Amino acid sequence: MANPIKPDRSVVTTCAYCGVGCSFKAETYQGRIVRMIPWKEGKANHGHSCVKGRFAYDYYNHPDRIRTPLIRKSINDPWREVSWDEAINYAASEFKRIQAEHGKKSIGAVSSSRCTNEEIFLVQKFARAVMGNNNIDNCARICHSPTQFGMSATVGWGAASQHFDSILQADVIMVVGSNPTEGHPVFGSLMKRRIRQGAKLIVIDPRHTETVESAHCNATVHLALRPGTNVAVLNSIAHVIVREKLYNETFVRERCEWDEFELWTNLVGSDRYAPEIVGPQADIDPELIRQVAHLYAAGPNSAIYYGLGVTEHSQGSTGVMCLGNLALACGMFGREGVGVNPMRGQGNVQGGSCLGSWPHVFSGYRFVTDAEVRSSFEQEWGVPLDDEPGLRLPNMFDAALTGHFRGMYIMGEDPVQSDPNQHHVIAAMKSMECVVLQDLFLNETSKYAHVFLPGSSSLEKEGSFTSAERRVNRVRKVVEPLAGYQDWEIVVKLMNAMGYPAHYNHAGEILDEIARLSPAYKGMSFDLLERIGSAQWPCDENAPEGTEVLHTVKFPRANGRGTFMLTEFVPTAERTSDRYPLLLTTGRILSQYNVGTQTRRTANSLWHPEDVLEINPEDAHVRGIKDGDWLTISSRFGSTRLKAKLSQRVNPGIVYTTFHHAKSKANVLTSDLSDWATNCPEYKVTAVEVVKTATGTVSTHQHETFEEAAA
Amino acid sequence: MWAELRDLRDNIDLGTPPREGVEVTVTIDGVPVQVPSGSSVMLAAAKAGKSVPKLCATDTLEPFGSCRVCLVEIEGRRGFPASCTTLVEDGMTVATQSEKLQKLRKAVLELYLSDFPEQDIEGGWSEFHQVLQQCGVTTHPYPRGANHQDAPIDESNPYFLFDPAKCIVCSRCVRACEEIQGTFALTIAGRGFESQVAAGQNQPFFESECVSCGACVQTCPTQALVEKSLFEGGYHRG
Repeated sequence: MANPIKPDRSVVTTCAYCGVGCSFKAETYQGRIVRMIPWKEGKANHGHSCVKGRFAYDYYNHPDRIRTPLIRKSINDPWREVSWDEAINYAASEFKRIQAEHGKKSIGAVSSSRCTNEEIFLVQKFARAVMGNNNIDNCARICHSPTQFGMSATVGWGAASQHFDSILQADVIMVVGSNPTEGHPVFGSLMKRRIRQGAKLIVIDPRHTETVESAHCNATVHLALRPGTNVAVLNSIAHVIVREKLYNETFVRERCEWDEFELWTNLVGSDRYAPEIVGPQADIDPELIRQVAHLYAAGPNSAIYYGLGVTEHSQGSTGVMCLGNLALACGMFGREGVGVNPMRGQGNVQGGSCLGSWPHVFSGYRFVTDAEVRSSFEQEWGVPLDDEPGLRLPNMFDAALTGHFRGMYIMGEDPVQSDPNQHHVIAAMKSMECVVLQDLFLNETSKYAHVFLPGSSSLEKEGSFTSAERRVNRVRKVVEPLAGYQDWEIVVKLMNAMGYPAHYNHAGEILDEIARLSPAYKGMSFDLLERIGSAQWPCDENAPEGTEVLHTVKFPRANGRGTFMLTEFVPTAERTSDRYPLLLTTGRILSQYNVGTQTRRTANSLWHPEDVLEINPEDAHVRGIKDGDWLTISSRFGSTRLKAKLSQRVNPGIVYTTFHHAKSKANVLTSDLSDWATNCPEYKVTAVEVVKTATGTVSTHQHETFEEAAA
Repeated sequence: MWAELRDLRDNIDLGTPPREGVEVTVTIDGVPVQVPSGSSVMLAAAKAGKSVPKLCATDTLEPFGSCRVCLVEIEGRRGFPASCTTLVEDGMTVATQSEKLQKLRKAVLELYLSDFPEQDIEGGWSEFHQVLQQCGVTTHPYPRGANHQDAPIDESNPYFLFDPAKCIVCSRCVRACEEIQGTFALTIAGRGFESQVAAGQNQPFFESECVSCGACVQTCPTQALVEKSLFEGGYHRG
């Protein structure tokens, strides 16, 4: 028979991969998932899907899934399978012991954007109410923390101003440091649809990505800038807009702070940001900078979409501010088809940001130092809370190396693979006494963990995700948790074992608690999501079904006005030299997702079996490198080996790789430089040298201090 | 503003994309229904609860008018216009069921069946099978002639396969790749009887520029393009 089996049940849920937040019908047959069908009523995807969400779900029952809790006294011991009670009690007793010996602040927690809102909220509650400190951070630290900072500074909220469908009203689409057709494919398809309808496309990216040129979708202008020159180039675009008076004076006078605007025009209007000056610094034709300025300012509707190519720089926050400034100056806020929108990598980066997984703010970005806010949490949680901001993730690692930080609860993260300067992270992990890791699989970080709590995939739990368009989508349980518990239930167990009473009958009660404590989520509930499918925050009595477009009347700042930040260009300290003449930048590919924990365990690897180094034929030729040759790539921080792929997608002087495979250790190379405001690492710029080498995959540690290198 | 995306419903296929426009009233099989101008007769019929059988039409794609199953009769017009490509007009009166229409649809479906795997006519649940049932067609009168029943199956993609034996060349996959995904990886190669769905430069799917988004599989009415996960122990003809 060649008729397929007919699924007997389906559950509508949300894809766990990127920040688009597609809705799927997970279809099962006799209790097992046989198909994921994109849901036509999904407000982000309208029935469309990509290769990850549609097909790469099999990781959930991969043999590598850990189904029993594991513990060990030392990371040199083998793992021992234990009961849930034993694992939870061991973790709790170790955390309590460390705190008794080294103080309350000697432990902390890290949550992940792959977790649900409910789980993320519980983990920060665990840190604040149970550990009694604010040592809580999340992986948005290493991707979109500058968005939070830079957007808040200019327009009040660190979130997308639009919903995805809004792009169908845009006349000019400016994509900066993002490659939606690979990183956010379903949104990429929507963008292409609009471009086929006639919208103009501007791409600012060092690489000649698929977004720049594909069938029936070509960028009108591509600024293939040199990595690290974002702020100079964006200031130069602003320069043209200011000098040629292309800005929207009415909008600025009515909606923004005029004095700050004038200060900003003085800065970007100065001669040093003229295209003729910036162009040569950034390796681009000054005329193209002028074209971009003219296109963007003319609109009538111009929309900005940006990704980690903006944020993961030492001036990441400044780059985000540049985008906010540009859109304010040209009046591109407050209606359909305009705005500034971050493309979020993981399914719940926005939720992770909103829900207080930060050392300095509670959910809703309200400061832990604010007594009034703190007291509302103290009332709800029944314990006094610390008024001092806690440690950021990189600071936790630093403190571990000095002996001030000895225990860590990590939910759904793999900092050893994904965080910069891997050797430093490993040394920090090794110096800790109790690392509790909750994940689906053993990973690079579990090598340094003492307790492993087997978590549940998003197909095995109830909760919600908040996508990059601020949309809260329901996550529904399709199959029973393989290891017995949903992740939020595990956090509750840990809280109880630490002596803090917490009880929820179902995940919806956690969302209710979030709603009570977070203004933007005030109206959210499982009931609402059941009724209308999904809702974008802010959702409250003024917007009972959520809000699609932000800033329509005023900006969420004290005086209701948008403001202009001064964005002086400061070149990164990481630069090329005779010894490291090439600039390495990193990114991702369609078929793989992030560090690859999930997608590498599916047939998606057929498309991308290994990370490769893209190098321009010109650079390859002078080094005697041919396609497929093994290369050693060295930076000031370490070296690793990858196969060469000769490619015109990168300009001479630039090399590019992805970071989906642990064995390629791309983050051995990356520097410990980070965004001045938020510590978001500078993944996008590393000076390297590439030499042809014999076969092999060993990465070596030849770390030299940055001072030495700079000297 | 976004009717074609936002007015889609999971439990019903309107046949053609929802539109925005001034409401007009049409009568379908005696039932009056209001739909925006610019809507197809097929969409109006679906709204009136009188679903017209269809194969090449679906509400996520622009109408194409190739399958000739969705024919209707419209008062004051000659012939049997395809309801997917015919737009509504205020006051229009449409009949979706008549003896003549039944005969025409049956004839078309029998032709499709004459080049479809005999053993898979029963027991299927694809859109094609549902249309066969809706029109009461279970067999065809034609002797075995030239056919595509031995055409090679493309199993190169890890997640889905393409069996040309079940393909009716309705172009939904080609259009989904263009209109929904925007990759333009598929085309119909050849003409007449030789027409067939081709990926890239007539390559296996896996080697073509196909990005495996699944839009073609999703939209295929005959399960010629189908998820491998729905076959335990692999895909076998006959």
